[in-house]
Amino acid sequence: MSEAAAAARSTAVPASLPENLSPETATEPAPQAKILLVDDEPKSLFALQELLSGLGQNLMIAQSGEEALRLALKNDFAVILLDVRMPGIDGFETARLIRSRERSRLTPIIFLTAAADEMSSMFRGYEVGAVDYLQKPVVPEILKSKVAVFVELHRKTERLRESEEKLRRLAAHLISVREEERAHIAREIHDELGQVLTGLKMEVTWLAKRLRDKPLIEKTDSMCKLIDTTVQTVRKIATGLRPEMLDDMGLIAAVGWQAKEFQKRTGIRCRAKLPPEVKLDIDISTTMFRIFQEILTNVARHSRATRVDIELMLSAERVGLEVVDNGVGIADDDLNGKKSLGLLGMHERALLFGGDVKITGTPGHGTRVSVSIPMKQKA
Amino acid sequence: MRILIADDHPIVRHGLKQMLASDPAATVVGEATNGDEALEMARKLEWDMAIFDFSMPGRSGLDLLGDIKKEFPGKPVLILSMHSEDVHGSRVLRAGGAGYITKDSAPQELTTAVRKVANGGKYVSASLAEILASECSSDPQKALHEKLSDREYRVMWLLATGKQISEIAREMGLSPSTVSTYRTRILRKLGLASNAALVHYAVRHQLVG
Repeated sequence: MSEAAAAARSTAVPASLPENLSPETATEPAPQAKILLVDDEPKSLFALQELLSGLGQNLMIAQSGEEALRLALKNDFAVILLDVRMPGIDGFETARLIRSRERSRLTPIIFLTAAADEMSSMFRGYEVGAVDYLQKPVVPEILKSKVAVFVELHRKTERLRESEEKLRRLAAHLISVREEERAHIAREIHDELGQVLTGLKMEVTWLAKRLRDKPLIEKTDSMCKLIDTTVQTVRKIATGLRPEMLDDMGLIAAVGWQAKEFQKRTGIRCRAKLPPEVKLDIDISTTMFRIFQEILTNVARHSRATRVDIELMLSAERVGLEVVDNGVGIADDDLNGKKSLGLLGMHERALLFGGDVKITGTPGHGTRVSVSIPMKQKA
Repeated sequence: MRILIADDHPIVRHGLKQMLASDPAATVVGEATNGDEALEMARKLEWDMAIFDFSMPGRSGLDLLGDIKKEFPGKPVLILSMHSEDVHGSRVLRAGGAGYITKDSAPQELTTAVRKVANGGKYVSASLAEILASECSSDPQKALHEKLSDREYRVMWLLATGKQISEIAREMGLSPSTVSTYRTRILRKLGLASNAALVHYAVRHQLVG
């Protein structure tokens, strides 16, 4: 690519505008990308450094394969320029080793070859993870524009990772805010409204006792009934927002209760195998309970099951939940589908506490959901 | 009879006192507004029985009941609660509570409960008794509906909630004649003669909600 072509590229694609002009980074300058230059000859290294210094990035150098490996262990490079011919570990071997480490598994490597005959070993180079070849002596413009492309790619990847991280934190925040909000509203409704109604009923009863007039007694009776119905409604709304037994009795009792409610509400038979009741961390309990509710919602909506088996397991390290239904079985498409926000929500909730959710469906034989959350909250 | 009451809501405490006032033998000696205060009063005052709200700020519920029972094992504690009996009732009794009444129960029930508990008895409401009975029955297979297969059970539930044969067929992905066969088998297994009897059965056994 000529410089002109590179220039045309950058005007055509707005995202590759210079860093200081792009909106996301207008306030904070982009950190320098790290580039690793590997050559056993100091002269070549010096030349490469001179050539690339204009890019304004952080250039790091290594004079051997071993040194390059050490640096690749500690740094994330946008690109590595690697001389093929070196004493000791040669370029190919170095590339293979770099690529075998998790951290540098995808780091782009450009091989520098000294002579045309080495081009025959290109194939070997690509096998160990080379993304490009440059023949020495390198043409400055080609080298610069190629490296610039990788620097840009690296920045975009970084930005994407950052925004993913931000989204995850935002989702976590939203989940906990919503949970707090629900608990708060439930408490307010249940306690304040419920207690006032209780008091009201006591007053009406007091009044009723002193009445001798039949029509008036009938009136107070119907008032009492109205209050009772309202109390039931209040209770239902509060429980729907946040079941009180989760706070009063803990996760195990709440799961048992929810299973019974589910059977009553759907006619789908529910069998729960629960450990003896103990109190667990409230945040972990809430997470597990909400995931459990989501699983049951899915069973009721999509499974056509006639039976659900639930098992809650406790160990010193983990809380495990297994829910198996005998319905149609979730299809792989539905598992990965964009529409499965509910499933995504379950995964996100579990992830917040370092846990995971596994869902497997067997067509015609039902779906199995396994949830596991470590007991100790991640610091 | 000296009674200690605890409830964080003035209006409920007021109503409670009013109701207890109708019983000449009862005197309210202390009114606590939260769990910690209740425990403090229990230590300081002379009392014969206590009536506590289940959920109060601070120490409350089963924890508070446990503390009181530990220090005053012989004294009866009646729990008054906004929560329905199926969730908390049997747990309160197991934790040593002398009785459990929901706040929406009839005031006469409270008076009855207070008398019963004051005489050293335990007060169990009719609906709580039913829950306890079903919890205690050692063999859950005894209930007739437990003999239904999972699919029969669901058909039974759908019938009990008023669904037509054709609707059930659609919902379960079965043919209407299969559903009819299921219906016949369900009625036979439950020893019932009609859909109306089935609805009645389901309601009585709390299979629908």
